[in-house]
Amino acid sequence: MTLTLESITYRYAGTGRASLSDVSLELADGEVVGVVGGNEAGKTTLCLVASGLAPRSIGGTLTGRVLIDGQPTTDRPMHELAANVGICFQNPATQLSQVADTVFEEVAFGPLNLGLARGEVIRRVTESLAAIGITELGERDPRRLSGGQMQLVAVAGLLAMGPRHLVLDEPVAQLDPEGRALVAEALRKLAAAGTGLLITEHDTDLLAGLCSRVVVVDRGKVVASGPAADMLADPRLDDWGVEPPARVRLQRALAAAGVRSELPQ
Amino acid sequence: MIDVVCSGLCYDYPGGVRALDGVDLTIHAGERLAIVGQNGSGKTTLIRHFNGLLRPTEGTVTVDGLDTRHKPVAALAALVGLAFQDPDRQIFAGSVEAEVSFGPRNLGRRGEELAAAVAGALRTVELETELHTNPYDLGFSRRKLLSIASVLAMNTPVLVLDEPTTGQDARGVRTIEAIVASVAAAGRTIICVSHDMRFVADNFERVIVMRDAKVVLDGPPHEVFAERNWRVLKSTNLGPPYAARVGHQLGLRSTPTAAALVRELQAAQPR
Amino acid sequence: MGRPGPSAYHRLNPLTKLVVALTTTAAAVILGGVFWPLMIVFVFVLVPAVAARVLAQLLRFMLIFSLPIAISALLINVFFYPGGQTVLFGLGPVTATAEGLSFAIEILCRIAAISGAVTLFYLTTKPSELVLDLERRGVPPRLAFVTNASVQTVPAMAERAQQIIAAQRARGLDTEGSAWKRVKGILPIVGPVMLGSISEVEERSMTLEARAFTRPGRRDLLWSPRDTTLERLARYLLLLGLVGVIGAKAAGLV
Repeated sequence: MTLTLESITYRYAGTGRASLSDVSLELADGEVVGVVGGNEAGKTTLCLVASGLAPRSIGGTLTGRVLIDGQPTTDRPMHELAANVGICFQNPATQLSQVADTVFEEVAFGPLNLGLARGEVIRRVTESLAAIGITELGERDPRRLSGGQMQLVAVAGLLAMGPRHLVLDEPVAQLDPEGRALVAEALRKLAAAGTGLLITEHDTDLLAGLCSRVVVVDRGKVVASGPAADMLADPRLDDWGVEPPARVRLQRALAAAGVRSELPQ
Repeated sequence: MIDVVCSGLCYDYPGGVRALDGVDLTIHAGERLAIVGQNGSGKTTLIRHFNGLLRPTEGTVTVDGLDTRHKPVAALAALVGLAFQDPDRQIFAGSVEAEVSFGPRNLGRRGEELAAAVAGALRTVELETELHTNPYDLGFSRRKLLSIASVLAMNTPVLVLDEPTTGQDARGVRTIEAIVASVAAAGRTIICVSHDMRFVADNFERVIVMRDAKVVLDGPPHEVFAERNWRVLKSTNLGPPYAARVGHQLGLRSTPTAAALVRELQAAQPR
Repeated sequence: MGRPGPSAYHRLNPLTKLVVALTTTAAAVILGGVFWPLMIVFVFVLVPAVAARVLAQLLRFMLIFSLPIAISALLINVFFYPGGQTVLFGLGPVTATAEGLSFAIEILCRIAAISGAVTLFYLTTKPSELVLDLERRGVPPRLAFVTNASVQTVPAMAERAQQIIAAQRARGLDTEGSAWKRVKGILPIVGPVMLGSISEVEERSMTLEARAFTRPGRRDLLWSPRDTTLERLARYLLLLGLVGVIGAKAAGLV
């Protein structure tokens, strides 16, 4: 399934300034794309538009089109889009429905809302938990898990609805290193299994290990796009408010001091 | 300038969980201290003892010689400013200016003095142009900087920041680093709880590693992040900064920061 | 699926437990006096509490919640009962009367019945299970969700309020000083609680939409609490019993 953003310009309700200007982006089936940029560059807005929440859930004005497999989604309601494109945000606690007493029920929330039959829902939830690697958390209370675990439950809950693409807006920003590692591992598994991922993050080390392509957003526009290795080593990242991965930073420090040395892999 | 001393500090949460188990710590005036450890190691519990929000179950905590058990939090807040991790559990005012004025006003500052404190703090976090903006019109990371400014403006001898770099972009991290530097330059003590090892190694002269309610490592970055301590770090789910790992792989002495790595490589280069 | 409760009473259908609480409360209030409410407390509150092994907790909660009301009801009626003639003793300007005392005791019995029934229900029923059961019986899913989510909000809000109080105290907010200072301190605490809740509501509503919550129409349930013919019968009998009580009272038989 291809997800395409075509010349998207978006303004939040009540503001005159465009948060996204003429942004075009294509996410091929199974592709993992990273989005970087400073705060308020438009990364979150991009995620909201890609998932359909903007303008359906939050209002605002959108010009341009969002297409799934070449078909415009303009007239499709949010609950239909939810089955095609899942979206996950950075605050683990607000990703929970709050009404589920167990992780299994939490992950079942989405598929049940889609009107699927009970048997089908159980099958999907079981598969989803296994795909993320959290089957053993099935009977736990989702509200008592660690931040990283909650994020995994959120992703499993989205996956169970069967989308071909997942949009993740700074999924590890509020997690400790342990949580980060958990989520990174789960995302690796998903990517390997063929789910398309659109990930916005400040943690360029995370993106370096996951993405084939990286897009840079600055002041509402896409200013650069290319293979991950190239983009994450681009000298202009600093101007765009992006911290390069540790390796790149170190290489630059060495080069600046005129020290010749090969950094081990 | 004041010291903070913990002596045999033990703390049990109601319900019986022992969150601090015999912590002995002296933080000298003007120190740049980072406290690291995984969730549940006791680091958040520890910093809440510095301004009296929590009082020891056993042992003592003294701030400038005053026992925290005998002073109300409102009084200790004039000595130790503490900014929490979640700005949204603190921000209540309708404007940036009102928000930042709250702390210093509680400490008795008025008029010129108050205005200067507020202006200074806002300049440090680059929010001086947003005096009348509603805090919720700022994005999350600028709200976080706002919450830090609110405590900065109190001009306390000791400043404690809980996870200041979480959620910040590159520019935000640099602003935090500048805050650490300027607070230390003014002779004030700065303490940060963080899980960003690079930020810790680059900006602090002393690192404390906590695990299971105890302090397990205490020293300058080049010691704490040296290879001989990696097993201890791993046991608490932490890892050394990338520069340290590279330095070790290249067979150099402990290099917790990029700058240290550069120095060691330059020293190793044949003339 | 389904949760095994710790006792047979816990495992009863939530609606059954609700009907027990409502009918016994209503009957105790209508019948009045001393004998009937206490009889009801014994049969419909204490016996199930023992079976459910929550007796100690039940008594503790009942005490905590009804003590203030009980004390004021006792004092008001013992000393100020209109029509009280038989004097028991005097206390300064007021006198205690036997009629007042007996009326107060009747009120206490009613209070015991009400607090007992409500507490028993609260201790043996999970709100989420009650909502699931109602949804199975046809309550619209979105209404069910809102009810469930609202109940869950309260403890979360309380926890958040604690954190906010800590943050504001760290900024010098005086919570240990004079009453006026504490009143002034309300906005810095209530403000973030409200604002935070609002922004959390925003994020949470996006989470719900991302999980197709707005799709109209019915949805399957993963599980719901089981119901048996015996329990259905019991519920009808209880309701019938209540009707009988009302009739008997109206006819002056009790």
